[in-house]
Amino acid sequence: MRRSSSKKKSGQSTESVTTDLFRSASSKASNKEMDRIDHLFNQYANKSSSLIDPEGIEELCSNLEVSHTDIRILMLAWKMKAEKQGYFTHEEWRRGLKALRADTINKLKKALPELEKEVRRPSNFADFYAYAFCYCLTEEKQKSIDIETICQLLEIVMGSTFRAQVDYFVEYLKIQNDYKVINMDQWMGLYRFCNEISFPDMGNYNPELAWPLILDNFVEWIQEKQA
Amino acid sequence: MSNQKKRNFQIEAFKQRVVVDPKYADKTWKILEHAIHEIYNHNASGLSFEELYRNAYNMVLHKYGDKLYTGLVTTMTFHLKEICKSIEEAQGGAFLELLNRKWNDHNKALQMIRDILMYMDRTYVSTTKKTHVHELGLHLWRDNVVYSSKIQTRLLNTLLDLVHKERTGEVIDRVLMRNVIKMFMDLGESVYQDDFEKPFLEASAEFYKVESMEFIESCDCGEYLKKAEKPLVEEVERVVNYLDAKSEAKITSVVEREMIANHVQRLVHMENSGLVNMLLNDKYEDMGRMYSLFRRVANGLVTVRDVMTLHLREMGKQLVTDPEKSKDPVEFVQRLLDERDKYDRIINMAFNNDKTFQNALNSSFEYFVNLNTRSPEFISLFVDDKLRKGLKGVGEEDVDLILDKVMMLFRYLQEKDVFEKYYKQHLAKRLLSGKTVSDDAERNLIVKLKTECGYQFTSKLEGMFTDMKTSHDTLLGFYNSHPELSEGPTLVVQVLTTGSWPTQPTIQCNLPAEVSVLCEKFRSYYLGTHTGRRLSWQTNMGTADIKAVFGKGQKHELNVSTFQMCVLMLFNNSDRLSYKEIEQATEIPAPDLKRCLQSMACVKGKNVLRKEPMSKEIAEEDWFVVNDRFASKFYKVKIGTVVAQKETEPEKQETRQRVEEDRKPQIEAAIVRIMKSRRVLDHNNIIAEVTKQLQTRFLANPTEIKKRIESLIERDFLERDNTDRKLYRYLA
Repeated sequence: MRRSSSKKKSGQSTESVTTDLFRSASSKASNKEMDRIDHLFNQYANKSSSLIDPEGIEELCSNLEVSHTDIRILMLAWKMKAEKQGYFTHEEWRRGLKALRADTINKLKKALPELEKEVRRPSNFADFYAYAFCYCLTEEKQKSIDIETICQLLEIVMGSTFRAQVDYFVEYLKIQNDYKVINMDQWMGLYRFCNEISFPDMGNYNPELAWPLILDNFVEWIQEKQA
Repeated sequence: MSNQKKRNFQIEAFKQRVVVDPKYADKTWKILEHAIHEIYNHNASGLSFEELYRNAYNMVLHKYGDKLYTGLVTTMTFHLKEICKSIEEAQGGAFLELLNRKWNDHNKALQMIRDILMYMDRTYVSTTKKTHVHELGLHLWRDNVVYSSKIQTRLLNTLLDLVHKERTGEVIDRVLMRNVIKMFMDLGESVYQDDFEKPFLEASAEFYKVESMEFIESCDCGEYLKKAEKPLVEEVERVVNYLDAKSEAKITSVVEREMIANHVQRLVHMENSGLVNMLLNDKYEDMGRMYSLFRRVANGLVTVRDVMTLHLREMGKQLVTDPEKSKDPVEFVQRLLDERDKYDRIINMAFNNDKTFQNALNSSFEYFVNLNTRSPEFISLFVDDKLRKGLKGVGEEDVDLILDKVMMLFRYLQEKDVFEKYYKQHLAKRLLSGKTVSDDAERNLIVKLKTECGYQFTSKLEGMFTDMKTSHDTLLGFYNSHPELSEGPTLVVQVLTTGSWPTQPTIQCNLPAEVSVLCEKFRSYYLGTHTGRRLSWQTNMGTADIKAVFGKGQKHELNVSTFQMCVLMLFNNSDRLSYKEIEQATEIPAPDLKRCLQSMACVKGKNVLRKEPMSKEIAEEDWFVVNDRFASKFYKVKIGTVVAQKETEPEKQETRQRVEEDRKPQIEAAIVRIMKSRRVLDHNNIIAEVTKQLQTRFLANPTEIKKRIESLIERDFLERDNTDRKLYRYLA
C-alpha cells in the first residue's frame, strides 16, 4: 500500500475501524452485560417454567441480604414493571437490571440504595404506591384487596415514613366492620391523607370534602378515642 | 324783545336747590316717634295714616333712612322692655294670659307701623339689606321679651306644666296654649324647635317613662297594652289642638319609645299574661293590640314572631315526642291538625295575616313534625281512618277541606317516601276489604298527591284502582261465560298486578274442594283471555262469608279470613280435630294458623270453636270442636279483621329498612343523571344537587350520597380527577 493512500485509507479505515471497534466494543460490552444478566437470571429461575418463582426470589433476597418483605424488593419489582406478584419473567428481569446497570449480585446490591432514593422522590412515590396496590391483585378482574393483605402492604410501603398513621389505620381496619376489602380509590385516598393531613390532631381534615368514606370513619374513630 | 329768537319751550328740571332744614329730619322723626308711642299706648285712633306715611316717605327720600330705621329700633325696644317688665310682674295664671295679650298687641302695633313705614321697608331696607320691619318686630319681641332672663324659663315651665296637668287629667285653656305656642312658631322654626319643642319632647319622655314604669309594675300584659294605646291617641290630639303639625311624628315616636319599645321584652315574656299565655288562651284582642302596637317599633314584631316560633317548636316537640300521645295515631294527627288550625286562626284574627308569621308557623311545624320518625306512618293511618269511616256522611266540600289540611301536614314531611310506602299498604287493605267510604274521596286525595309530588308518586296507586275496576269486569265476564256457576258458592276475585301493590309473600294453603274447583275454573278462564301471565292465589289476603248452623239451630253468617274458612270447612266432615290434623289438612304455616285459631277459639263473642284445653294460647296438642253453644246477638258475625294497624316495632324496623334500601338506587340514579349532564363536577356541588333533586321525596344524607358515589366509582361509572381530587368525572 502506498503510504499516502494507505495513510488516507488507513486513516479512514482506522476511523471506521475505530468506530466499528467502539461500536462493537460497546455492543460487545452490552452484549456481555446482557449475557451476565441472563446468566444471573438463570441462577434463580425455575428451570421448567423459565420464571423466577417465589423460591427463587427468596434465594435472591438472601443473596442481596434483604428480607423478602423489605420494601426494596417491591421497588425492584416496580423498576422491572413486574406484573405478577412473586414472579419475575426473563424480560422483566432484563428490564430492571439493565436500568439499574447491574449485572452481578454485588452490583445489584449496591444499586439498591440508589433505587430507593429514586423511588422515594415524590414524583415517583405516588406511582410506586399505586403500583404496589396493583401488584397485589392476583386474580383477573380483581379490584380490591382484603384487609389482611392491605395491612401488610401498608406496613411495607409506608411503615418507615408514616409510622403513626400506619399503626392507627391498621388498628382501625382490624376493628371496623363496614369494609372487608379496600379498593384503589381508598388506597390512594390514604396516601393523600398521610401526605396532607397533620397527624394526630387532623385539624385540617374536612369530612365534607371528597375524602373516601372509610377515612371519614377513621378520623371519627380517632377523635372519639382522643376525647 | 321782538327780535328775540323763538326758543323752544323747554321744561327743565327744577334747578333750585331745595335746602332741607337739618332740623327738618328731627322734626319729622319726632312726629313719627310720637306716633309709635301712641300706637303702643292704644291711642292710634287719633293718628292720620296719610300724614305719617308721607313723613316717613320724605325722610327716606331725603336720605334720612338711617335715622328712621335706628329710631324705629330704639323706640320699639323701649316699648318692648316696658312690656317685658309688666309681664314679669304678673302672678300665676295671669302671666301667660298677659303675655298672650301683649303679644297680640305687639302684632297689631307692628302691623300699623309697618304700613306706615312701607316705603322705607321697600326701598331703604332692601338696598341696605337690613331686616324688614315685620321681621324686625318679631326679632325684637323675641330678644326683649321671650329671651328675657326672667321670662324665658318661666314661660317654658308654665307651658310644660300645663301640658303635664292636661296629661294627668285636668282641663286647661287650650286656646291660650295654642296662641302662645303659635307665637313660638311665628318667631321662627328654630325658635319653636329649640325653645319649645325640644324641652317639650324631653319632658314628655320623662313623663311617659315614669307612667310606663308605674303601669308595668301594676298591670298585666293585656292591661298594659290597653293603657299604652291611649297616649298615642292623646298626643296626636294634642298636636292637632295646639302644637305644630310637624311635632306629631316626633312626639309619637317618644311615646312609642317610652311606652312600647323600652318594654317589649318584659311584656312579651311576662309570666302568666305574656304572649305565650295569650297564644294558649286564644286572646285575640290582646294579641291584636300587641301586634298593632309592636309593629310601630323596630324589632317589635320580630320579637313577637320569635317568641311565638320558640313556643310553637317547644309545644310541638313535646306533643310529638310524648309517648302517650303516640299511642293513637289518629288522635296524634288530629292534635296536629287542631294546633295548626288554632294558630292559623290566631295569625288571621290577631296578626293581620302577616306573611312572615305564616312562614314562621310553617317552619316550626316542619321542624317538629319531622322530629317523630313515625309521623309519615301516622298521617297515613289518619287518612286511612277518615277514608274508612271518618268521612261518612260528610259533604263533598268538607271532605275537600279535610283532605287539604292533610296535604298541608304532608308537605311538612321530609320523608315523603316513607309516607308513600305506608299509604300504599293501607290503601291496598282498604281496597281489598272494600272498606272505603267514598271512591271519590280516595281519588280526590290521589289527585292532590299527584299535584304535589308528580306523576311518579301516584302512578302505582292509580294502578291499584285500575286493577280493582278491571277485576270487577273480568269477574262479570267469568260469570257470563259460566252460567252454570250461578248456583253454588260465589267467587269474588281481585287480580292484582305485581309491582303496583305492596309486596306480599305468597302463602299457599289447601282450599276446600268446593272453593278450589271454582278457583281453577277462574284461573283457566283468565289465562284463556290473558296469555303470558302467571296467577298466584294470595290466600293470606282473602275473606269469606260462610253460613253456619250451630247445635241449637242458631243460624249465623260468619265473615272470616280465607285461612279461617279452610279450617272451619274441615268441621263439615269431622266433629273433632287436633291441631296437627288441621295443620296437615290445610297446610297453613304455623304462625298464621295459630293466629287464626286463636281468633276463633279464644275471643269472646267470636268463639265459634271450642278448644281443649281452654287455655289462652294455642298449643300443638290442642283439640278443637265446633262450639254448639255459640251465641251472638247479630246474625252476621265478623271474625278476624284486616284493618290497618300501627306497626309493631319489628315491622316498623323492616319497613324502615326497605325504605332505606329503596333510597339507594334513587340516590344513584340522581348522581348519574347529574353527572351525565355536567360531565365534571366537584364534591360539594354534587351533594347539593343530589339533595335538591331528591328533596320532594326525602332528605338525602350526605354520608349516604358519598357512599353511593364511591360505589359508582368502583363500578366505573365515575372516576376521580387525577390532579384535583375534589372533582369527579363521568365515564361514558
